[in-house]
Amino acid sequence: MHLFSMFLKFQHHLYCLCLPQIRVKPDHTGVVTDGVKHSMNPFCEIAVEEAVKLKEKKLVKEVVAVSCGPQQVQETIRTALAMGADRGIHVEVSGKDYETLGPLQVSKILAALAKKEQADLIILGKQVADFRDSGTFASEVNIEADKLKVVREVDGGLETIKIKLPAVVTADLRLNTPRYATLPNIMKAKKKKIANVKPADLGVDVSSRLEVLKVDEPPQRQAGVKVETVNDLVGKLKEAGTI
Amino acid sequence: MYRRTILCFRGQDTLNAFQRGMCCLMRRYVSVRSEHDIKNFIIDNTEIVSAQSLTPEISLRLFTPTCRFWTERPESWPFPDPYWAIYWPGGQALARYLLNNPEVSGGRKVLDLGCGCGASAIAAKLTGASRVVANDTDPNNIIGSKPDDWDLILLGDMFYDEDLADHLHKWLQTCITTHGTQVLIGDPGRAQFEGHDIRKLLHKLACFELPDSVKDENYGLTNSTVWCYNYKPDL
Repeated sequence: MHLFSMFLKFQHHLYCLCLPQIRVKPDHTGVVTDGVKHSMNPFCEIAVEEAVKLKEKKLVKEVVAVSCGPQQVQETIRTALAMGADRGIHVEVSGKDYETLGPLQVSKILAALAKKEQADLIILGKQVADFRDSGTFASEVNIEADKLKVVREVDGGLETIKIKLPAVVTADLRLNTPRYATLPNIMKAKKKKIANVKPADLGVDVSSRLEVLKVDEPPQRQAGVKVETVNDLVGKLKEAGTI
Repeated sequence: MYRRTILCFRGQDTLNAFQRGMCCLMRRYVSVRSEHDIKNFIIDNTEIVSAQSLTPEISLRLFTPTCRFWTERPESWPFPDPYWAIYWPGGQALARYLLNNPEVSGGRKVLDLGCGCGASAIAAKLTGASRVVANDTDPNNIIGSKPDDWDLILLGDMFYDEDLADHLHKWLQTCITTHGTQVLIGDPGRAQFEGHDIRKLLHKLACFELPDSVKDENYGLTNSTVWCYNYKPDL
């Protein structure tokens, strides 16, 4: 998987994260990374959009798009630049390191970068969130005085919280509707800067802590069985040995 | 790499000449369309603007918010990247400097390299250059070729990419040593430019504050500067 994030600087920086489409390799040793089109996933687009909106409201000074992965991820960074991010950072991780890159290493990379860049807010796509006490599943983000006000989607409904900066926010599907990059903005993005950084430069070791034994696709969904009564249901469950 | 086309200005109406040049470029890619069709396509999809830049006295055909491709999906653009449809801030500084100092171009042979919308070339022509060539993406790459005897080479917003900057830098040194060409560079202080080796060899000539609309569209850029390249080969 490759990871993409947006760092936001408000007077603030913003980071946001993304994943590409993934397929399992035929030998079940991992996922296919060759030729994978590194397009931004919907959660990343939403994160980028939120960052750019905050900048347009003048609540944020600069938006930095960050991506971890091989050379191809520069494409997604350019898309973020075309949507309105000001500059990009490409954290180069390729080959075996990329295949085994996990949330622990990514968190370390982002933390190191956030510190270096003095980011005030980090916005991530929902699927890669592994943070606690943060504005996860955000469906609305606002800045009030020096605090971040986040409306979160939780099981019981909506929860509004205020968090101190620096903060991490993960984007929910309902947060916004991302703009598509227009031609003039794509042209302007071609002259924006993408810096190259290695994890080692940030003092992060990306060698894997995990050994991947096997990778499988999720099983095909089987057809279900329809029953007429509750007794039938209980009967079927007993037959299947589940009760 | 970079494909180039050469457009020549020889005392004719420079805007029409530029449009003709753009038609030649696009015809290479869209063989079905005639020059007439391409010209009309450009006219239909750009607007003539002059205000909101450092050079309100020069009118240019550019993308504006009222144009279809300001919001249209980029995949539907049928031609190569339209670098020419934006008035880049480095080019704005160069054009302003030339208009303010007519003796810089007057009577000289001028090459505007990576001309984009052609504003610097137009400014050179307006201030009396004897010959002006506006050059941008062309099948015959001018960078790396044997340089002609230009008196002046203009470079606006050409140092945004490290590889391009390195190639350019080497070629400029050849131009200077071969023909004593004067090289002027316009740049809004992009990080890629500030970090390049060439920066140490530049002498500041002028600095202009960008109009508010240009600042808004290019976050972090507030000024644009014209530099003279003082390359002295080791003896």
